Amino acid sequence: MRGFELVTARDSRHAVALLAQHSASAKVKVIAGGTDLMADLHFSSHIPDIVVDISRAEDLKHIAVTEEGLSIGALVTHTQIMRSPLIRDMFPALVDAAHTIGAVQTRNLGTLGGNLVTGVPSMDSGPTLVALEAVVSIAGPDGRRQVPLAEFWLGPRKTVLKPDELLAEIIIPKQNLNKPTHFLKFGLRKGQALALVNVASSFRVDWDKNVFVAPRIALGAVAPKVIRALKAEAFLEGRKVTPETMAEAGQVAVGDAKPISDFRASAEYRKDLVAVLTKRTLEGAYELAKAKR
Amino acid sequence: MDKKTDVAEKTTPLETEHILTVPALAPLVAYPLEVLVPEVRQQTPAVGQRATRPDGRLHGLGQTKYIDDWYFPGMLFAKIKRAGVASAKIKSIDTSAAEAMPGVVAVITGKDIPCNSFGPSLKDQPVLADTRVFHAGDGVAAVAAVTEQIAAEALDKIKVEYEILTPVLDPLESLKLETPGVHAPNANIYGHKVIKKGDVEKAFAESYQVFEGTYRTQMVEHVPLEPHATIAMWDPNGRVSIYSTLGRITLGRADVARTLGIPMSRIRMIATIVGGNFGGKNEITTEPALALLSKKTGRPVKCTFTRPEEFYASTTRHPLIMDYKSGVTKEGKILGRKIRLVLDGGAYCSWSETTLAKACILSTGPYNIENLYAEAFVVYTNKTMTGAMRGFGVPQVCFAHESHMDEIATALNIDPLDIRLLNAFEEGSLSPTSQKLQSVVVKESLLQAAQRFGWTANGNGKGNGAQS
Amino acid sequence: MVTVTINVNGEKRTASVPPETSLLRMLRDNLNLTGAKLGCDVGDCGACTVIVDGKPVNSCLMLAAQADGRDVLTIEGLATADRFHPLQKAFETYGSLQCGFCGPGVLMSAKALLDENPNPSPFEIRDALGGNLCRCTGYSKMIEAIQVAARTMRGEPAEKTA
Repeated sequence: MRGFELVTARDSRHAVALLAQHSASAKVKVIAGGTDLMADLHFSSHIPDIVVDISRAEDLKHIAVTEEGLSIGALVTHTQIMRSPLIRDMFPALVDAAHTIGAVQTRNLGTLGGNLVTGVPSMDSGPTLVALEAVVSIAGPDGRRQVPLAEFWLGPRKTVLKPDELLAEIIIPKQNLNKPTHFLKFGLRKGQALALVNVASSFRVDWDKNVFVAPRIALGAVAPKVIRALKAEAFLEGRKVTPETMAEAGQVAVGDAKPISDFRASAEYRKDLVAVLTKRTLEGAYELAKAKR
Repeated sequence: MDKKTDVAEKTTPLETEHILTVPALAPLVAYPLEVLVPEVRQQTPAVGQRATRPDGRLHGLGQTKYIDDWYFPGMLFAKIKRAGVASAKIKSIDTSAAEAMPGVVAVITGKDIPCNSFGPSLKDQPVLADTRVFHAGDGVAAVAAVTEQIAAEALDKIKVEYEILTPVLDPLESLKLETPGVHAPNANIYGHKVIKKGDVEKAFAESYQVFEGTYRTQMVEHVPLEPHATIAMWDPNGRVSIYSTLGRITLGRADVARTLGIPMSRIRMIATIVGGNFGGKNEITTEPALALLSKKTGRPVKCTFTRPEEFYASTTRHPLIMDYKSGVTKEGKILGRKIRLVLDGGAYCSWSETTLAKACILSTGPYNIENLYAEAFVVYTNKTMTGAMRGFGVPQVCFAHESHMDEIATALNIDPLDIRLLNAFEEGSLSPTSQKLQSVVVKESLLQAAQRFGWTANGNGKGNGAQS
Repeated sequence: MVTVTINVNGEKRTASVPPETSLLRMLRDNLNLTGAKLGCDVGDCGACTVIVDGKPVNSCLMLAAQADGRDVLTIEGLATADRFHPLQKAFETYGSLQCGFCGPGVLMSAKALLDENPNPSPFEIRDALGGNLCRCTGYSKMIEAIQVAARTMRGEPAEKTA
């Protein structure tokens, strides 16, 4: 590829300062794990002028419970998510989702922040976090601002990030800690595959009445961005938790999805997958709810 | 666990055979001097013996040198500019901006090639396209520069003016006589074969039922892990040494001699361990162009394909469109079979003639059929070159004749294994081209496989000798 | 140009490279460590796998500058002067490699696996090799050889007796 200038950020504040300094007058790209950027640049004719390397910013690599909820630094790798005792305990769905990304080598380099910022609708880290109503913390020259993750994307590969801003943290709100959640991805292979459809379902159970409480379903790869299946959620709220309701919710979720046909799958097949994966993730979340009761 | 602990500390002492002698060399292998000529079906002592591959040692050490692992002092790096359009006339090529780039040492185009055509049979392939583009992977210029990066950048600076022509992309369209010739004035059908035996129409008339089906296979790329790579350099006595991932180096040497217009005695082709071939490295690619760049610059020149180039600029497996018609008895015995094969022959002939022949001869399947008519065509299209790939057309027809067999079995409510046992070749059966077959174990293999898979144990099969 | 110093196979090596240089290119072109291979350059095939700070990564996706100051292990560092790594011995004995091009990448992924998981199941081995493509072998002899090497490294007999 053609050359660019490389600047290395010491930490997140330095990174923001570098972005602010350069982005007005040059084409700037950020590199973290490089799994998306380097693959793009190796065959691209649109090479940036400057690349800001944020991979050494240690202040973006934490996984911790704060008063806001569970905070995951943007530079946490998919492997680190898979191995974090905190995440394995609270959100096995995040572990499952991370495990479906690429392969060992790409998971060791790729970051959660990078996966979200690249913004392809089939991203594997998105649905679980959207179902858990995650919020992202964006660092800019004037400090931090928060945006609900579901509103972070404007469309395929487009986010609300301004040229001088950096995705710093992903926060799962306190009220959703330990909320039973299940994620499933369907790809054409078991490894190194893009999702044809991926789904995450999250809900609590009112054990006295045996009904769904705060059901949240997120669908990936069936719209220009990761979306919530609002019709399916409305259908489930307050309804009895039974296999039949879960199956029906799957059918309702098909109405929330707007998949396209491409060389990997037809829209019809994707709709079929939405129904099945919604049902199965609801079932999986229910198993988790029972186990954690 | 401390991951950085030296492995030697953690392992138990290895036996002495594991100790390397320095420097690390593969052990010398003694080859037997007498040549064994086994009788048919005679068990030789070698069969069933485990043999250690002599190359495994260096492979595991990471010491095997593939072509891209060779570096020579002063070596330049070459890249090829690809047309990117399926069919066009080249009106002009302006390389001046590329040549003026710092770090670019030489640029050549098709007009610099002394004899710009080669091929394993039909010599229809150019080294670099000079007046016409026949597929998007055609090379139209080659650049040698001091770094690979500069060579790649220089490609963008080469300006080519195309007159875009309507490409022929559908092989069935290409089959029609009224479709413009891809290599006009030559016809699009560039290979044809017919195998005829008995009277297939009479057989159909006498059949209990006649089945028809059309089967299609797609274009497949070999994807060897190692991309194509070549290094060319000249010695002071006017001989060129070409290091290449090419499999067929004697053929390559002949093609280089032809395209450069120099005697074969002036050409050394050096091949080494290839990182996967599968048929995709059976003919030359950049060798003549690199030889010319090396001559022009006076320095060694290396070119490696990018992975995308492996897909659109190297040979692929022929897609086939296969029409099958079979007349059978009520019991499923095939009385007659009629087949039409259309091979998508891509932009150049390459190994199409071999593929056509093998596909045609083996299209009927390993079955005794008294009445046959198999006709095969290979046609030009403006798509990636189709050439040799493991099986030469047979995997494609196998998909067809086996799918067809399953469909017939289902329709007649006959077990798929039984219908095959009923029709399969036996010792002494005649092939479609009347070759008497020896060492035939089709039925034995099917039965053994059926036993291993538990075919009859799972409720399949109605007899005919199938063991459970 | 950026100056990059890595601790590769136990040795400190420095090279001055253009900023866009990947770790793979630096290893191959500047340091003569051609064991890691260029198969795709986009992190799909795994032929470029090396171990950086104990983790297997696609060296084609890492900038050389990002490896500055880090420990890098390549295939050339797997054997010592007087002995093979058990993985290399097992791969040789079991004929796990044919053309060999994917070999260095597979061996690095396998080493990283065994360093962390001394007794992997066949599923865990397949998962660990999920990022290494091979077009020749069908992987089965690699999985066999990795199990044998794991037994050797645990001090057990190489062949299973049960």
